[in-house]
Amino acid sequence: MNVAFKQDQAYRGAYTFRNSPTAIRRFPMPFPEDRYMYSVNIEPHTGGPKGSVIEFPIDCDEHYVEECRERAIVIENDPLRIQALPHMMSAQWDTLELGMLSLSQSYPDRFTLTRNARNWHWINRPLGLDQKFVFGDPKSLPYEPLEYITRQLQGDWVIMDQRDNDLWVEGGMVTGPADWSMDFDMGMSFKEWHGPVPLGHEMGVFDRALKFLLNLRLNEPVRRYNWTMTVNANLDSSPHNYPDWGPDRTTVTMENVAKKLHLRTELQGLWRLPRSNGIVFMVRTYMLSLGDIATVPKWARRVHRVLRDLHPALVDYKGLTRHRPVAVKWLSQFDDGSPTTPGIAPE
Amino acid sequence: MLITGIRSKPVYAPLQPDLGGRYHVMVGHGVGAAPLARLLGELKSAAPATLENTRIWYVNDPAAPQSNADVFHAANVAEVRVFDAIDPLLADLTAAMDQALMGTRLYVAGPESFMGLIMRIAHQFNLASDEVRAEECGTMARRVHCIHCRATIEGVRTNIVECGCRRWLVVRDHYSRRLAAYMGVMVDAEAPGERPDIKEVFL
Amino acid sequence: MSAGAADHADTIPVRVVAIDEVTPQIRRFTLEPVAGGELPAFSGGSHIIVVMRGAQRVYRNPYSLMSSPHDLGNYQISVLRVDPSRGGSAFMHEQVRVGSQIEIAHPVNLFSLAKLARKHLLLAGGIGITPFMAQLHDLRAGNVPYELHYATRSPTHGAYCELLSSAEPECVRLYHDSHKHFIDIEGLLGQQPLGTHVYVCGPSGMIARVLDTAHALGWPDSHVHYEKFAAPPTGDAFDATLLRSGIELRVQPDQSLLEAIEAAGVDAPYLCRGGVCGFCRTEVVAVDGELVHNDHFLSNEEKASGKVIMPCVSRARCTKLVLDL
Repeated sequence: MNVAFKQDQAYRGAYTFRNSPTAIRRFPMPFPEDRYMYSVNIEPHTGGPKGSVIEFPIDCDEHYVEECRERAIVIENDPLRIQALPHMMSAQWDTLELGMLSLSQSYPDRFTLTRNARNWHWINRPLGLDQKFVFGDPKSLPYEPLEYITRQLQGDWVIMDQRDNDLWVEGGMVTGPADWSMDFDMGMSFKEWHGPVPLGHEMGVFDRALKFLLNLRLNEPVRRYNWTMTVNANLDSSPHNYPDWGPDRTTVTMENVAKKLHLRTELQGLWRLPRSNGIVFMVRTYMLSLGDIATVPKWARRVHRVLRDLHPALVDYKGLTRHRPVAVKWLSQFDDGSPTTPGIAPE
Repeated sequence: MLITGIRSKPVYAPLQPDLGGRYHVMVGHGVGAAPLARLLGELKSAAPATLENTRIWYVNDPAAPQSNADVFHAANVAEVRVFDAIDPLLADLTAAMDQALMGTRLYVAGPESFMGLIMRIAHQFNLASDEVRAEECGTMARRVHCIHCRATIEGVRTNIVECGCRRWLVVRDHYSRRLAAYMGVMVDAEAPGERPDIKEVFL
Repeated sequence: MSAGAADHADTIPVRVVAIDEVTPQIRRFTLEPVAGGELPAFSGGSHIIVVMRGAQRVYRNPYSLMSSPHDLGNYQISVLRVDPSRGGSAFMHEQVRVGSQIEIAHPVNLFSLAKLARKHLLLAGGIGITPFMAQLHDLRAGNVPYELHYATRSPTHGAYCELLSSAEPECVRLYHDSHKHFIDIEGLLGQQPLGTHVYVCGPSGMIARVLDTAHALGWPDSHVHYEKFAAPPTGDAFDATLLRSGIELRVQPDQSLLEAIEAAGVDAPYLCRGGVCGFCRTEVVAVDGELVHNDHFLSNEEKASGKVIMPCVSRARCTKLVLDL
């Protein structure tokens, strides 16, 4: 696949983020049917159709370079977006290994990893990096291993320790969250960290998800999808800078909703880690403007219906209250009531 | 955004003796003396010998000084240590925990923001949840962490509070044990100036 | 979502490159990957399922990895010959030779060191020493205090005693039944600083004594660890009929109901394959026995009703199970 990296786009200020037609077609639509409710929609993460976002374990797309640059800007403004508690060092190395092996195997033209016992040589052509280091020796890298590799990965990454029949958030690189703070949540258990999610607890969704994840096995990663909406292509919608992006929610009108409002899908991947026996959680975000959604007739009808009929608790939790009416009204022009095929494909 | 009804909010219960433990460490603040006194009474009737392996740390509440320590001295436990400020108690308790053995049970009573500090010490010594019991009493005023400037605001009794960074924050039920604080998030980011009426809710 | 009948859990072909008689009953096997290179990284305390294809049946036995997690050129396991044995240990001792090729599953760890422990206390009996051998490599490299207490029947029965005591005499104590020298479990457990975790691996009687003593001395369960192996939901073989397609199939002891259905060429729905998502929920028409529910999805009422089953993890103890598929 010949991917032209877009060097000049940004996720702030002028918001020059745009999706090419290829990116639009491969966007992971999070709605397999015309209504949405939570479920434990976990499935094996073992590949998918060629060209899709799940073809490879870790997707590297046309936004790779500017997303990495955006990450660097966020960390410079707020260094606490990358943290790991002291006992998570082996999990950091596990994640570095996962990232380097995955990228070099999936995209050999862009990434090369050569290993000679503990002496590793990593080349990242898109970012212009050439690094020799000793696996296991943090002093041989310019950053700690988790920071080093996640500065070269799209999506947020959280490392969890497994103990006491629970999972604990004890490290991560989180620069593009959908309204949660890793700094605040550090040290929380699985259900505590999901505390602010309405309905899920009553439905038993988190009980089941936790039981499943406690038995997650090496070499058997899983994935699921989550979603929300964002005004402007604002990746970093964390509570920390909510004063910056919060006001944008009131600026959505019928005239600008197609360009401004974005559907935001999270492709979440979970891997058991070998040396730490922990779990790494990837939250990979894809954004698609309403205008781009409307270029795919099935998606336009589907998204219209999902938003129109969404449970009020989810409307509030996902922060959609102010602009949902405009979105639903704008999308209604594309919905003639005709049936949609099940599944997320464009037709 | 969910403000209340969040599952990270700690749940407390009246203190009860755990006779499965061999050593009992009790820690109290101000009106926490009452639950501890009750606990001592229950331990004494159930298994009087345990008092020899019981130690108490207590800090007087500067806002309402009472000599509650008397009831502890009368109980014939192994040791009673009384303080007039929280920090010296924390340091002393930490030193004692460093010498403590497996089989220890920790009981805490007092306002939540005090107990949060004791829980951090418990975590430092890798105490399991079933080795620690906590009963909330006294003021429900909250320690709030401003998620924007990361400042800590003590003793918050109202639903919204103005932070030093000049933002008005709504106080959520989302609680961090690591910070021993509740999250405060700007309440009027989307509609500046539009704030709910200020009410005393954490009394 | 459903897919073909491919087994999603891959095994790794390995060759036995060395067999050492450690004691008259214990053999150590050194395994290297047939494909060359390194074996997967793992955490100390992990075990692998070794798949042995015998003439009559397939054995799947779990063995702790005892080699260093830092040396992935090979894995080492120790196998105690269990007498009388019609099972995997006899197969390992009698049929597996240097040069034999066997398959192993990826490591699973249900016995890992607690990352927040302030001290680790390891108690081993007999062959139970094996997971600790791997963990010692990590413990030596760290800065958390630890002790290993290792009891064997006698010095000749003691696997690896010399190796252990020469490596770090201050942290390792050896005990031999033959010398009437036993681990003072109560004394040890009564003297540990707050934040100690105790780990026991050995005969079931030893494990029971440690668990009981720890409990009596006020240790919380979360700080007491004993070795467990991953138990895939196996059971006796049984027959199943798929009512709508008319297909009759047999579910083997080491195969899930879903796998058997897929092997019969039926595209049954599934998603997580772990008993939590609800996707594979199937109606039970009849069963001349009882359903064995291993899932975390159905309610207690649904499980008791006998009318529904999750084939990805659940089974039946019966002669015939009829499903609405």
